[in-house]
Amino acid sequence: MSAATLIERALLIAFAAFMLSVPWSVPALINSFWVSVIAEILIWSLFAASVNLLFGYVGLLSFGQALYFGFGMYGVAIGINDLGLSFWPAFGLGIVASMAMALVTGVFAVRLTWHYFAIITVVFSLIFYFLALTNKWLTGGDDGISFTLPPTFSFGGTKYGLTDPTFQYFFILGVVALCFWLMHRLIGSPLGKAFLAIRDNDTRASLIGLNVYVLRLIAFVLAGFLAGVAGALFAFFGRYASASYMFYHVSGEAVVWAIVGGAGTLFGPLVGTSIFIVVREVVSSHWEHHSLIVGIVAILVVIFAPRGIVGLWRQWMAQLAERGDAAAIKSKLRTEP
Amino acid sequence: MSEPVLRTENLTKRFGGLTAVDNLSLGIPGGRVHAIIGPNGAGKTTFFNLISGLLKSDGGRVFFHGRDITGLKPHQISRLGIKRTLQIKSVFPQLSVAENLWITSQAGQRFLNPFRSASADRAATAKVDRTLEQIGLTGLAKRAAGTLSYGDVALLEIGMALISEPQLLLLDEPTCGMSPAETERAVTKIRELARTIDIIIIEHDMEVVFGIASDITVMAQGAILASGTPKEIADDERVREAYLGRPEDEDYVEEAVHA
Repeated sequence: MSAATLIERALLIAFAAFMLSVPWSVPALINSFWVSVIAEILIWSLFAASVNLLFGYVGLLSFGQALYFGFGMYGVAIGINDLGLSFWPAFGLGIVASMAMALVTGVFAVRLTWHYFAIITVVFSLIFYFLALTNKWLTGGDDGISFTLPPTFSFGGTKYGLTDPTFQYFFILGVVALCFWLMHRLIGSPLGKAFLAIRDNDTRASLIGLNVYVLRLIAFVLAGFLAGVAGALFAFFGRYASASYMFYHVSGEAVVWAIVGGAGTLFGPLVGTSIFIVVREVVSSHWEHHSLIVGIVAILVVIFAPRGIVGLWRQWMAQLAERGDAAAIKSKLRTEP
Repeated sequence: MSEPVLRTENLTKRFGGLTAVDNLSLGIPGGRVHAIIGPNGAGKTTFFNLISGLLKSDGGRVFFHGRDITGLKPHQISRLGIKRTLQIKSVFPQLSVAENLWITSQAGQRFLNPFRSASADRAATAKVDRTLEQIGLTGLAKRAAGTLSYGDVALLEIGMALISEPQLLLLDEPTCGMSPAETERAVTKIRELARTIDIIIIEHDMEVVFGIASDITVMAQGAILASGTPKEIADDERVREAYLGRPEDEDYVEEAVHA
């Protein structure tokens, strides 16, 4: 095994160990507030992954993913408050609502590409943002809907719910990890390869027999799924849903997170989201212009590391592996008589 | 006479005021390499775009083995067995050479499984390995296609055509921009392919055309100027006239005839 794979594997194991120890290690090292910051990072990184699936793997830049995040949120909130659903059905409603919305809007949106696609996704999200804002009877508008959390599991008399912060953290970690694993499987699957082919060269993809339109639509609905799961989790996490999360500003942030972290890489969105939310949490209490840092970092990364931070890392690892190969060849030469 | 592989009836395409393909009726019989030549702007590539579905015709019909394929989408036409290469070399640059071949061989399937690993399909990977060997790119299998030399990309394109098991292959200037050695290699491959596949080739290099084609159609201003065997075409007065503005091509015609 090469040094690069060893380093990456060790990092992955260390990262997994840290994520599993967060409810105990973080309060001991910093304070318990940061446990919920990390939970929030996990949720938003899933949202950024939804942008990444479209942009990094299919080549469609969506500035409207907040729409599906919002539908995930409202699915949960309306499900619990108005329909009296319990935890899992409400979760399911949020996901199904966002996927259905992605299907309906996607039928029109994926006919277009590049800036036209970006514009139509913004337009769709703006339409529904204003609809959510004005239909206060259903959505609560800007104030949103607050709800009481139903228990997640109940065995006999014992109830487990997100009101327990440790349980909540592991619930979020589990769902987000599952989604990232699914995305990893997807990318390595035949369907994933077809996505990559379309991203690289859509004309060629159609000429080898790929149905570009249908495949883009599938990707759009899957991205809607990721955004919807993130939105539903965030509703559970905050115990409320609000139209303000459907604004295109929210979509735009996810685009920046995904690109800075590294579009087209599995962990790019997680890296990007972590950096920006940590900066925001650390700086915003001292300085109100923290978004200035966000802007500068984004510009620097786009100029100096167009493949994002994870892309930069990959490049280093590839160089390391190359050097290893060169060394191996050299040592072989030396041993030869 | 049996039904031709490809037949067009009054095929027409206009771009604004320009008629790129004008009432083109053509029948191409199977079992032969058919070359389409003509000066720049004659409508050759537009003709390919109409057959492969990248462009919608303004009139007329296209038949493939007697089946009307007019108005079908590119992927539908591709799945019927008509594959093509593009004039400007066109692969999937960020995918590896092996992945390029793999997705090409799998693209025709109606269901692309999202739940299993792509590399788990043994039959497909074996097919990719065989094709890699055939085109001599085994050593570059893991390289990103975008980092290949021009000649290797051209070979990869031919490999992609091979692995997709076409019935009819449309080659759009396959040797354009190649070195003489690369051209020779490509011509050998095309000849090999022609034994089992019907091929229509657009080519500017007259040496290549007269070297591999058994029939030649000359296009000018969107219409057929002449059609026949290489000998007939080389002797045709009108063809010479169409090429008058480009003496270097005339030289080729001359050379080829006397070769």
